[in-house]
Amino acid sequence: MSSSLTLAPAPPSEAAEEVRTQVRGFLADELAAGTFTTHVDTWLSGVDPAFSRKLGERGWLGMTWPKRYGGHERSAMERYAVTEELLAAGAPVAAHWIADRQSGPNLLRYGTEAQRQAILPRIAAGECYFVIGMSEPDSGSDLASIRTRAARNADGDWVVNGAKVWTSNAHHSHYAITLVRTGPPGEGPRGKHQGLTQLLVDLSLPGIAINPIRILDGGHHFNEVVFEDVVVPGDMLLGEEGAGWHQVTAELAFERSGPERFLSTYPLLAEFGRRACDTGDRAQLATLGRLSARLLALRQLSLRIAAALDRGELPDIPAALVKDVGTTFEADVADEIRRVVEVTPSLDSPDPLGRALAEAQLHAPGYTLRGGTNEILRGIVARGLGLR
Amino acid sequence: MASDQDLVVETVRDILSSHEPFALTADTAWDAGLWADLAEAGLTGVGLPEEAGGSGGELADAVAVVRTLAAGAGAVPVAEQLLAAGPALLAADLDLPDPAEPLTLAIAGAVHAEPSDDGDGPGRWTLTGTATDVAWAGVARHVAVLAQPPEGIEGAVLALVDAEELATSDARNLAGEPRGSLVLGGTAASGALLTAAQAGEVRARYALARAVQLAAALEQVLAWTVQYAGERHQFGRPLGRFQAVQMELAEMAGEVTAVTALVDAAVQTLDRDEDVVLAAAAAKVRAGAAVEVVARLAHQVHGAIGFTQEHRLHHLTRRLWSWRDEAGSELTWSQVLGVGLLAQGGDGLWPALTRVV
Repeated sequence: MSSSLTLAPAPPSEAAEEVRTQVRGFLADELAAGTFTTHVDTWLSGVDPAFSRKLGERGWLGMTWPKRYGGHERSAMERYAVTEELLAAGAPVAAHWIADRQSGPNLLRYGTEAQRQAILPRIAAGECYFVIGMSEPDSGSDLASIRTRAARNADGDWVVNGAKVWTSNAHHSHYAITLVRTGPPGEGPRGKHQGLTQLLVDLSLPGIAINPIRILDGGHHFNEVVFEDVVVPGDMLLGEEGAGWHQVTAELAFERSGPERFLSTYPLLAEFGRRACDTGDRAQLATLGRLSARLLALRQLSLRIAAALDRGELPDIPAALVKDVGTTFEADVADEIRRVVEVTPSLDSPDPLGRALAEAQLHAPGYTLRGGTNEILRGIVARGLGLR
Repeated sequence: MASDQDLVVETVRDILSSHEPFALTADTAWDAGLWADLAEAGLTGVGLPEEAGGSGGELADAVAVVRTLAAGAGAVPVAEQLLAAGPALLAADLDLPDPAEPLTLAIAGAVHAEPSDDGDGPGRWTLTGTATDVAWAGVARHVAVLAQPPEGIEGAVLALVDAEELATSDARNLAGEPRGSLVLGGTAASGALLTAAQAGEVRARYALARAVQLAAALEQVLAWTVQYAGERHQFGRPLGRFQAVQMELAEMAGEVTAVTALVDAAVQTLDRDEDVVLAAAAAKVRAGAAVEVVARLAHQVHGAIGFTQEHRLHHLTRRLWSWRDEAGSELTWSQVLGVGLLAQGGDGLWPALTRVV
């Protein structure tokens, strides 16, 4: 098969298994103490700054970053184990998730020394949260068509005008890495990739309005962030002016490959496992087996990417593939389960399986949209197959 | 697989190149010529230790041989011999037949074993009953039969039967591969008593052997389909330039990549001497689940020519449709996996999942 799609198997990591055991113990204690309750898709919906700070205290944020920036210089395999355990438990990780997953690594790659020193230690402590400033009301999959603009004023600062949408938890966050147009597009089909720039925008600046957009279950996670003559200090340029497209592409490799791309509905599968154990029903056990086999394959794919990141690679095509297969699985979990269990999905259900099913169903359309629609992802995979 | 196996793969490919796959029938039930060439090159004993009569080499070498032959639709019982029956006999301290003579494994049906004293020493058994769905029945000279033990004894009996004198029924799978029954009427054989766990491992290794074959055939079907989409022109451009076709090929690639990752990991558990049952179950189920998507889309992209025996595609798609339910059906292994993952109770699912591979 095309070598751009396949990666070498991940070597076993004792360090990862060690930290996995620690996280598992921590989560059992927190659950027993009642500091959180398990929910589906908590990396979108479970905002809990106190919980994020606890993770920071234990060294489980910014794990792979240099120690001089508050990181812990551990491997991507160890970070994989930590994130996987948190997701499987349905823990409230949304506050720090984007900052730890992609904004921090983005700052490490492209940020100035001052930016890194000011922000990275706070992310690693679980105190500083980020949103993704990419999509706009008129720009989704066609990201390069964004219209939010920034222009330098006489002081050398950036004046930003426009709007970003689907900014998850902007109302709880401190910064948005915002993709803006700072120059005209070039000629040709890829010309629109020119003239784009990433800015590090403090969300408390004057001129920024954060308006809620409610998703299907009524939850407030999404926002519209409107910029009206927002003056962003000149030293908050991230990376190079005009290199925004390249930087965004690198960021997406981190965004697309992690276990949150197949474990968003794991708490539902866990609840179903308890049910199948109680009933001993053969159809339920077979469904559990089939879904588990898919999950186990996805783990191997995602682990291979973690190992590739440890080797210093940026496997954007395999990451697109994992996200396509993984998010399809996330939605299928709910469908497969409801076919073999007598259960009514309801957020008010006295049955935890009914509640988990309701949460998974109402969040389902998002799995295959966020972070790049599966159509976009399959286009990337097709490129990896040499078709375009 | 790792590049250490490149030489083995090249050797098998060289041999395959002079044996075109053909549609199997009752009269031409296997590729005897291919087998003879493989045996002469020592490839029918790869991964089996030299002191037991094999050709030596690593498990990874045996897997590479099986993968290459599966991708080439080689009609020979090499997966059974190298990855299932051979290792099962060795694990039970039974003698390995000459690797030049095809060996297979029988795990289904109702065969009873009774200890016998036929004068040939200890470890002799008498087998009675019918072994069903036996891969390469009528072709394999030797059959390792997993039989029910005498009443009151737990586990199973693994016995090595000389198949030359046995009555076989002519049944074949969707690709025409022999899958008949063997009638054992008081047949004398050497054998060994296995624990239930050991018998479970024999079944799991067989399932993993099929999963390895499935993974290789799925990869080959994807490669053929990508190639065809690049060569076949309609509306003035290659099929692969159409976005709708690209989506289909990308979906196939996702399935194939997922299967390969899990099957590779399951094979590694075997290499590390870990419990293989749940890993094999997962690999077999995942590989089988991919067949529906990959075979369907491969045929869709190939169009009508792929629906004929004039095109090579059927050599693999017909095998895929059968292999997914052989060596234990997808349903059976799904249940084994579901039950096994809940062995520590309903709260133990996640720890169990993180231990499988």
